[in-house]
Amino acid sequence: MSVSTEWAWNDNAIVVTADGRVDGTNARDFQSALEAVIEASDQAVILDMERLTYISSAGLRVILLAAKSLQRKDATLSICSLSDPIREIFSVSGFDQIIPIHATQAEALAARKS
Amino acid sequence: MVVKPPYKILVVDDEPDLEPLMLQRMRRNIRRGQYNFVFARNGVQALDRLHQEDDIDMVVSDINMPEMDGLTLLQQIPKVDPNIRSIIVSAYGDMENIRTAMNRGAFDFVTKPIDFRDLRVTIDRTLQHLMEWREALASRDQLVALQNELTVASKMQQSILPTHFPDHPGYQLFANMEPARSVGGDFFDVVTLENERIGMTVADVSDKGVPAALFMMSTRTLIKGAAIGSAGPGDVLREVNNLLFEDNETEMFVTVLYAEYNPANGEFVYASGGHDPPLLVRPDGSSTSLPLTGGIALGLLPDLNYRQNSVILEPGETIVLYTDGVSEAMTSDEEQFGLERLRDAVAADPGEDAAAANEAVFEAVSDFVGDNPPSDDITCLTFRRTVSG
Repeated sequence: MSVSTEWAWNDNAIVVTADGRVDGTNARDFQSALEAVIEASDQAVILDMERLTYISSAGLRVILLAAKSLQRKDATLSICSLSDPIREIFSVSGFDQIIPIHATQAEALAARKS
Repeated sequence: MVVKPPYKILVVDDEPDLEPLMLQRMRRNIRRGQYNFVFARNGVQALDRLHQEDDIDMVVSDINMPEMDGLTLLQQIPKVDPNIRSIIVSAYGDMENIRTAMNRGAFDFVTKPIDFRDLRVTIDRTLQHLMEWREALASRDQLVALQNELTVASKMQQSILPTHFPDHPGYQLFANMEPARSVGGDFFDVVTLENERIGMTVADVSDKGVPAALFMMSTRTLIKGAAIGSAGPGDVLREVNNLLFEDNETEMFVTVLYAEYNPANGEFVYASGGHDPPLLVRPDGSSTSLPLTGGIALGLLPDLNYRQNSVILEPGETIVLYTDGVSEAMTSDEEQFGLERLRDAVAADPGEDAAAANEAVFEAVSDFVGDNPPSDDITCLTFRRTVSG
């Protein structure tokens, strides 16, 4: 059980794709990966969660930390392509009211441009 | 570092009769070498004693006293020694003061006239917490690896969990927390309120380690304080959220389900701060998740309002509060335990015994996951209105 991340440059955002599951045992790895991305540029970050199977509250905290460090750089974090179980976790925890969520990566990128 | 009994307890009260009464009623514990009492008549005298004697373990203080009252004393004690724990003694129904005391860091409270049996239980629980806390601090001093830090954190976590549950003809309540081997931040708590009402909490802190354990402890105390004399669960979460947000520099948060039950009319009121909703199980085995109240996890944003929802429990109906460690417990094939299995586990036990029903959940989870080690703490609280209640 692990999480891996890939990232791709786009016009005005970096798209990070997370794969696997994030729980208390690997939240720090996930955190380091996101921090590296944020460190590397001042662009907005879109986190694509299509291939994420599970995220615990420790994982939500990493997302919150990422959103806050981007905020300090006047950039934003948004999330896209949530599977139903993951969307449920975001909705129960209230995180869907804190972090912008888009249905698809294309929508998330479009929202950046507008 | 870890001091052995007798534990030195400073009793602060302006009523001169309390000293002989306390010594008389606690004589067995004194003779057995468990407690050693010293006394002060007001906050000023108490602080003098605390400065002069560095071996006082805990303080039991009245609120209304001349020169310096108990609430002011509470603010001063941590400046002398942050590792002293305090129990506040207050007039029955003086919810405003009890609430202030809890928010100022009192560990627990008892009401007047003092029920000495209750006081003994409260003292023992506080001392137990204190010992585990000191042990945790001692091992933190020798901290070399993360594994140690997790041991420390897990001791702190264990030390705030209630081990006694209220004994009431109208309801039964039982809860348990099974820690994951390496991580987790779950806790539960129970608080006795006015007019036989009872408050219950199940919560999950977002991080692990010592800072998370401290965050957990403040959440527990703040909920206890806010619950007393509040206008209901929504109000409690609003207050606790603001207090947690104020000194939260760690970006930690906690999901909380806080509920209150009134045995007089069977009303169960709950509010969620980013937590899974309560599960209602009827005596015929049918069940339903109660509606979510839509609140955000606590500690993230200030000035949020939390909605609450209310249901009337019929005799024999059961409420289950749990953390995602239960619903998301997983086999090695990543199949989740899920709500259906949770419902089945509770419904399979239609008996009167909430403890057995609660235990059945842990057994079902353990059978389901097999030898796959849990990745998160597992917490489950079972509350049942008795058939006669």
